[in-house]
Amino acid sequence: MTELRPAILVVEDEPEIRRFLRASLGAEGYRVVESATGRRGIIDAGTHKPDLVIVDLGLPDVDGLDVVKGIREWSTVPILILSARAQERSKVEALDAGADDYVTKPFGMGELLARVRVALRHAARSRIGTNVLELENATVDLERRTATRDGHDIRLTPIEFRLLACLAKHLGMVVTHGQLLAEVWGPTHRDDTHYVRIYMKQLREKLEKDPVRPRHLVTELGVGYRLLTDE
Amino acid sequence: MKAPRELIGYAWAAVATAAATVAGLAMAARFDLVNIAMVYLVSVVVIALRYSYGPAILASIASVAALDYLFVPPLGHFSVSDVQYLLTFVMVLVVALVISYLVESVRRQARAQSTLEVEAETERIRSTLLASISHDLRTPLAVIVGASSTLAESGERLSAEDRHALAASLFAQSSELTEHVAKVLQMTRFETGTIALAREWTTVGEIAGSVLNRLKERMAAHRLIVDLPNDLPLVRVDASLIEQALGNLLENGATHTPPGTVVRLSAQQSGDQLVVSVVDYGDGLPDGDVEQVFAKFHHRSTAGTGSGMGLGLAICRAIARLHGGNVRAERVPGGGAAFHLALPIEKPPTVPDEIFAT
Repeated sequence: MTELRPAILVVEDEPEIRRFLRASLGAEGYRVVESATGRRGIIDAGTHKPDLVIVDLGLPDVDGLDVVKGIREWSTVPILILSARAQERSKVEALDAGADDYVTKPFGMGELLARVRVALRHAARSRIGTNVLELENATVDLERRTATRDGHDIRLTPIEFRLLACLAKHLGMVVTHGQLLAEVWGPTHRDDTHYVRIYMKQLREKLEKDPVRPRHLVTELGVGYRLLTDE
Repeated sequence: MKAPRELIGYAWAAVATAAATVAGLAMAARFDLVNIAMVYLVSVVVIALRYSYGPAILASIASVAALDYLFVPPLGHFSVSDVQYLLTFVMVLVVALVISYLVESVRRQARAQSTLEVEAETERIRSTLLASISHDLRTPLAVIVGASSTLAESGERLSAEDRHALAASLFAQSSELTEHVAKVLQMTRFETGTIALAREWTTVGEIAGSVLNRLKERMAAHRLIVDLPNDLPLVRVDASLIEQALGNLLENGATHTPPGTVVRLSAQQSGDQLVVSVVDYGDGLPDGDVEQVFAKFHHRSTAGTGSGMGLGLAICRAIARLHGGNVRAERVPGGGAAFHLALPIEKPPTVPDEIFAT
């Protein structure tokens, strides 16, 4: 039966950090595989076929970004990034290169475990997709392109729908500005970050109960956005 | 280039000698030669007091020459008939040198004094920093070492409740420590100028939303009123830094006012600036210059305990200035403090119009 437990590969050079990750993930019922270097991590991802990979960005031998790229060449396994505060830019690069989410060091285990659960759940149902978003005050049907707020029909623009669909595809996980711009407006608009800002403001005004304190369309400053639903 | 002050000194030496000569010529009819020599001496003393050796020596030589040529017999010659006048000349020169020497040494002492004062000030800041670090970093460290060693050494003998409590305080204290260290590092980065702004067009609403989410628990005891007009222009800023600045202002408001009181966050356009204001209704700002709250390691209450390291507002101002803006503090009539974070508004970018879906 042990093989049914999800396996998590931890690519981290600091033994003390591996120690509490091992203890905590193990206590939650995950099977933990550890790699102390980036090169070892890329190999272990191939041989152990984990259900999720946690990669530290600050590895001594190769850049964490290269580990993400190396794994993404052949695998869609969910990848979580551990980054330090000073690594803002490489964090965004790693996300753009295919990492699914991140946690900033120092982090509480509650936060990391929540990210792990979301990423595993997402991987399990990514083929099904999320077509209807049930929000606090509003409902959006992404397939039929209809939306209601407090029971009344409201109108969203085609771009607003596309933006929501892009966020919904990564429900609960962060989506970078660059990813949103490339997917919604096209690759030539990757640097027009003000487009996303303005459209997110519009969406919040239409869908959030309190647009200043959004519950669903959450900002990850300097990175992107995260769509949260109540499920 | 030669120091202009030196050149001006020589010019004044010439002027002073000329003035003494004019006065001497006017006095010649009715006064003794000794008194005329005194007039020259005064001019030499004035120059020696005001400027350094060079001008003083010039003034004394010129004075001696003029005195000799115009007033000491034989007139119109540099020769001297009475030897006692040579003594007069030497005395003038000696007075000039002595006074120059005295003035120079007084100046040197003053310079040394001010260097000492700068060093003392640096030392004072350093010891305040150390005191601050000692208190704000050591307290959480003491709890962390104590609680973790208790868990490591007698974990099994503790009740589950105690274990939880210790673990929770470990988490809380190390989180606090993380915040402190981050602030010290941040301030150091500002001071060494190693911060690169990642500027992007963004909305104040988004920054405010992010900071309100982060400080949800920290601000839970206060009544937070948010008033952000819908039509505020976009600003081109480093969103993470402005979020930090705004967070520091809100935390500052929450720290210095009793639970249950109102903290107000608002924003408005004022000319070519976007002004974000945080207003609290507590005890207000300390007496005297309101600017002092922006000094590093400043504590608004004299007790100054447990409310962080006094770096929040200094960091806030550094961030604002890095963006070409500023932060001002203001007393609120009836008690309370207002902080206004002003950011420059640039020409906002355009977004293509979109046809509505039907």
